[in-house]
Amino acid sequence: MIELININKTYNGKVKAADNLTLTVPSGQIFGFLGPNGAGKTTAIKIITGILKADSGSVKVNGIDIGQKPLEVKKQIGFVPDTPNMFLRLKGIEYLGFMADMYEVAADQRKPRIEDLASRFGMADVLDDKILSYSHGMRQKIVLMGALIHEPSVWILDEPMTGLDPRSSFILKEMMREQVNEGKTVFFSTHVLDVAEKICDRVAIIDKGSILFTGTLAEMKEHFKKNESLENMFLELTESE
Amino acid sequence: MNRKILSLVRVMLRNSTGLGIKDGKRSTQIFLIVMLALTVPFMLIGIVALFSSLIGAFMQIGQAGLVLKLGIGINSAIIFIFGIFYVMSSFYFSSDVEYLLPLPLKPWEIVSAKLIVVIIYEFIVTGVLYLPLLFTYGIRLGMGPLYYVYGLIVFVLLPIVPLALASFLVMLIMRFTNLKRHKDFLKVLAGMLGLFVGLGINMLLQNVSTDLSPEALLEMLESGSNSLVNVIPDIFPAAGWASQALVYSSSLKGLLNLILFVGVTLGAYGLITAFGQVIYLKGAVGLSEAGSSRRNKAIGQVVEKSRSRSALLSYCLVEIRLLVRTPIYFLNCVVMNFLWPLFLLIPLLTSGDQAMAFDEITRVISNPENAGIVLAAAFAMAVFMGASNGISSSAMSREGENIYVKKYLPVSYIVQLNAKLLSAMLIGFAAILVLVLLCIILFKMPLFLGLLMLITSPLALLFVSLTGLMIDLVNPNFTWDNEQKAVKQNINVFFNVIIGMIMAPLVIVPTIIIKWTLASTLAILCIGFLVLDILMYSILATRGVKIFSSI
Ligand SMILES: Nc1ncnc2c1ncn2[C@@H]1O[C@H](COP(=O)(O)OP(=O)(O)O)[C@@H](O)[C@H]1O
Ligand SMILES: [Mg+2]
Repeated sequence: MIELININKTYNGKVKAADNLTLTVPSGQIFGFLGPNGAGKTTAIKIITGILKADSGSVKVNGIDIGQKPLEVKKQIGFVPDTPNMFLRLKGIEYLGFMADMYEVAADQRKPRIEDLASRFGMADVLDDKILSYSHGMRQKIVLMGALIHEPSVWILDEPMTGLDPRSSFILKEMMREQVNEGKTVFFSTHVLDVAEKICDRVAIIDKGSILFTGTLAEMKEHFKKNESLENMFLELTESE
Repeated sequence: MNRKILSLVRVMLRNSTGLGIKDGKRSTQIFLIVMLALTVPFMLIGIVALFSSLIGAFMQIGQAGLVLKLGIGINSAIIFIFGIFYVMSSFYFSSDVEYLLPLPLKPWEIVSAKLIVVIIYEFIVTGVLYLPLLFTYGIRLGMGPLYYVYGLIVFVLLPIVPLALASFLVMLIMRFTNLKRHKDFLKVLAGMLGLFVGLGINMLLQNVSTDLSPEALLEMLESGSNSLVNVIPDIFPAAGWASQALVYSSSLKGLLNLILFVGVTLGAYGLITAFGQVIYLKGAVGLSEAGSSRRNKAIGQVVEKSRSRSALLSYCLVEIRLLVRTPIYFLNCVVMNFLWPLFLLIPLLTSGDQAMAFDEITRVISNPENAGIVLAAAFAMAVFMGASNGISSSAMSREGENIYVKKYLPVSYIVQLNAKLLSAMLIGFAAILVLVLLCIILFKMPLFLGLLMLITSPLALLFVSLTGLMIDLVNPNFTWDNEQKAVKQNINVFFNVIIGMIMAPLVIVPTIIIKWTLASTLAILCIGFLVLDILMYSILATRGVKIFSSI
């Protein structure tokens, strides 16, 4: 479970990227964070993962406050950032080993996990190559594998579907579903309505740093006229200032 | 000039944050500017003094113009050598190339803009070498205003011919060889070449400046008409015309030479952009391809190699791997680190009487009475080498925009900083090990002294690694598109070198003056640096961690 309570964040004293954000992401449901470009999704995610400090407000992950026990919180999270261009001069396997060490994965666990993830994502053949030689989608997959290697109880993914081929995004969807079925948490951002519609159980819609709507897909549909397409609903939601 | 090129140049210059002065906090900006103001004048004074004495010597035989010619020639050569490196990384390996290629730009426009940016960078070299020479010569020979006007024109145009030559070579290589596939290897090769040519120039200069008596100069001149001029390799005729223009600035001869120089320079510019139009694109496309094995090794076999380590060791290992595998880091940090022992040996190997020099050093080093001084010297070397390899003083900046990754890892900031310190110290220690082995093998240094050096040097390495890391924490540069900006153009590295240059004499000079015994040297160095290390480390563990957590 993730709880954001009255989070505020202003960049350079000008851009208000989080405006009194309050949001609860329950476990056991795939939670979509929907909003147009520049809405403040990445900012909120950075605050949850400890990359950014909020100006005010508090964040709790599984009941632990990130301000008080940052390391405890970070250990619970598997995070996939929106740009996968890191550690390019490491081999895939070296990167996974590094992440396993950082998240203190037990020695006897790492081999089966790496093998499992690699075969699921079809990355087994390229693990011995440098990440520099990977395509964008492959880089995304290796980052995803690195984020899941410690079997985190909370997944946070920033625009994970962009750049993945249909097969890989199908696998990711499946894995998200498995994860929430075990009573764990999945929180991911997207600016594509279609994606949210297909995967999520619950959504929050954000624009200009504040939450416009939170609820199940059904509630969202009910909240607005039933026949109207989601696209229209989305437009209405974001323009209803 | 065409508007597109100008706006391209503007974007490229803005993207390069230069020395990282622009984006720091106000207080660090002021600090940086004060530090620059304090150090740069000393450098300039040294250069001016050298030129002044050279000009003085040549004036006695009425050939002061030769210094101008020599200086401009050497300046051109240096621009050419740096140019090969700069052009390669700017034309082909800079990440903006990928974004420029799809834009509706003609190849010659990209080449022009890139060339202008490199020319602007080279103004630094020209500013440090040519400008002091210009003014020293002008003042000593009482030149008129026209001399300075010509001088300014030459200043602006001087980098163009050598850079055109460098671009020509680089574009040919990239177009017609398969070398670009081995981008990393190529970068290392270019860097090594640059280093050794630089070393060569350094030695040449030393040889030139050793014998400056008028008699010797006259003898050199008389042993063949204008032989000294022939000794100076005249690869850059344009440099010759430039110096003639300056020397004869008051007469028509000067103007003619200036016209010749300007004409040739503009011609070179035209030729190279035309050449770029034809050849640049074919070399630049497909650059981001990296070699990959796709060997189909069994996954089990691959995974087997992955060992489980502590966070500290694993983090440190990644730091070292990235240092070794990123060509720019490898050259500037790792290779430089191991070059110091070599630098010390070169004067020995090239000096006239090698056997004598060897014997002398062996005598000094193996004499037990000198043990204290020898130990302090090694300690001072460790201070200097550790400070100048730039590993810790670029440890934060090297992260670049991926610094955010280090913020979500569940590893405390102090452990991360420790891993960075450890990586810097391990590589520094390897160089000390080489140095100690060389001393034992070449100069018959007593083994126990070598052992003492190895035991004490970590204290020295730790100190300068701490100062470097702290400096780079206070003023990191995360916005770069080219790794050079993290190490080579990172002012924090320079600051730590200064710290090394101040600390090293502080270690060695008192030992020589007071003639401490081995035991007291050992005690004083160990206790002194232990205190310093603890002090610096506690600053890192408090302020440093705080800064890291608020990045
Ligand atoms: N580092 C930054 N500095 C200044 N402004 C930023 C920074 N990062 C994001 N912003 C601004 O904050 C707002 C929200 O950005 P972001 O959280 O990245 O949006 P999203 O991920 O929803 O596209 C945008 O207006 C963006 O311009
Ligand atoms: Mg985003």
